[in-house]
Amino acid sequence: MHNILPPWLRSARVITGLAIIAIIVICAIFAPLLAPHDPNEQNLLTTFLPPVWVQGADPAYLLGTDSLGRDVLSRLIYGARVAMMVAVIASFGAMAIGAALAYLAGYFGGRVDSLIGRAVDVWMSFPPVIMSLILMVGLGVGLRNVILAIVIVDWTRFCRVLRSEVLVVASKDYIAAARLVGFSHWRIITREIIPASLPLLITLVSLEMGIAVIVEAVLSFVGMSVSSQTPAWGQMIADARQYIYDSPWNLLFPALTIFFAVFGFNMLGDGLRRSLDVRLTAVQRV
Amino acid sequence: MMTGVLPLVGRRLVASVFILLIVSFLLFVVLHVLPVDPAAMSVPPNATLVEIEAKRVEMGLDKPLYVQYGIWLGQVVHADFGTSIHFRRGVLGLVLATLPATIELALLAMVIAAVLGLAGGLLMFHTRGTRTEKAIDFGSILLLSTPEFLWALFFILMFGVALPLLPFTGRLDPNMSLPAGTGFLLFDSLYAGRPDIFWSAVRHLIMPSLALGIAFSPTIMRVLRSSFLDVYQEDYIHLARLRGLSERRILLRHALKNAILPTLSLMGVQFGFLFGGTLLVEVIYSYPGLGNLMVDAVRNADLPIIQAVGLAYCVVVLMINTIVDSLYLVLNPKLRLR
Repeated sequence: MHNILPPWLRSARVITGLAIIAIIVICAIFAPLLAPHDPNEQNLLTTFLPPVWVQGADPAYLLGTDSLGRDVLSRLIYGARVAMMVAVIASFGAMAIGAALAYLAGYFGGRVDSLIGRAVDVWMSFPPVIMSLILMVGLGVGLRNVILAIVIVDWTRFCRVLRSEVLVVASKDYIAAARLVGFSHWRIITREIIPASLPLLITLVSLEMGIAVIVEAVLSFVGMSVSSQTPAWGQMIADARQYIYDSPWNLLFPALTIFFAVFGFNMLGDGLRRSLDVRLTAVQRV
Repeated sequence: MMTGVLPLVGRRLVASVFILLIVSFLLFVVLHVLPVDPAAMSVPPNATLVEIEAKRVEMGLDKPLYVQYGIWLGQVVHADFGTSIHFRRGVLGLVLATLPATIELALLAMVIAAVLGLAGGLLMFHTRGTRTEKAIDFGSILLLSTPEFLWALFFILMFGVALPLLPFTGRLDPNMSLPAGTGFLLFDSLYAGRPDIFWSAVRHLIMPSLALGIAFSPTIMRVLRSSFLDVYQEDYIHLARLRGLSERRILLRHALKNAILPTLSLMGVQFGFLFGGTLLVEVIYSYPGLGNLMVDAVRNADLPIIQAVGLAYCVVVLMINTIVDSLYLVLNPKLRLR
């Protein structure tokens, strides 16, 4: 059994991470089938119902209802859509830009490298939360702009880490040999350097997905993400915070859901880092 | 010792000013492609179109963007950050009134993050290869998956609602007033000889600073552990063992000196992130700092404030980075020789 699996899958962390992400992705895709209620359906007669295991609950609402009598479970399931969309598209976008610049900087060095390095310095002087908030002010709210803001803010995470990796790879003998044989720069980067740095890239993407989930939650928490018609986890927290004494459950469930999702991506990232033998130093974190 | 360091610090300072200029320009451009009209917002609602147009010319909004930026920069150099559209007060005053609160929170959180991170890193390294290390390592992933705003919410639920032990709104109990002074409440209250205010301020700071500190500790933990692992491959560690030094002495007197360096530069980067993280924690705890000023300004589309607060965050981050880099130079003799 152990040997059937590819090496990168033979890690409890990778499997745990993938399982958690699979659950959330299934929730996102099949939300209309899985959710017991319409996420926006209000029922002002049954507001602040507790979850079923607490006295006074209604079994029709497994995790209770919020201040407008909307079903919390259904909103969590629909909220997975925004979260996963942002996680996947934004991290691949950030990766595409960050990695492209890192390959250019690390491979060509010199002017290109120092120019890109300066850009990273400028970005690093901006706390990411502040930068994404300012970008949302400039771009305007909406799912597309949330994704764009995350890409614009987070490409440096890839660029910083990957650049030093590319520097190491580019100084290897087989790259010099490839140059001597007369390979084009394009071919050396795409055929020799990218494969060598792929493990790092994969690890970074899965960590970035966790970060993107957090950033989306943060932005929707301060009301700068999707419109209030679309359920989002951060928004649920912001709503529940006003009624913290009426129903602490309403705050707890979306908070735990965000934690669960981020934990899944971090487990996957950490497991991949170990099984793909990637060295990560000063990276990570929002 | 300082002679070798000063020119490098000076160069770093010049670079920071240069970065700040670029940042301010980017900030200006992003905020001026907005779909809102600052001129229309800064005149009374019953103003005529002619009046709005006059205001627009007065504010320089009819000129090209780079000219507007030049005008703005000229004003900023003279410490004029404009007037808030919403509060109708000078922006500089608003920022300066809230900045100390945020710095106080961030510094306390950084101390907590550093203490937890260093202790955790030492513990992880000390227990390497055992079950305990695995448990701590798993714990650090759990920590890594809980951003500061989730900690802030969990703390409120635990120590504010379930067990009402600590206050979770504002900087002080409502019946107390801020003592005059620097704006750094912990300092001002002691200076004014008011232990009651000091105690109240501490109680209000515990949850926000813990939430931030805990959230930023696991990265420090992990980097310290891995730099210890690197350092222990070095010859001088083997030599120290051969000299018969105790493991404890090797760890604390020999290895720590070198292992702390990568951790220190990471902490500089982390502080930038942490300083941004104060925004959410402030919003959650209604803590009157830069973050709340910023979020209010965003909701009111109050451009002068957004601009100035954005800049204030960058100035603090750049200052911290310069300090950390200088400290790095002082602590690492290898970099001084060049």
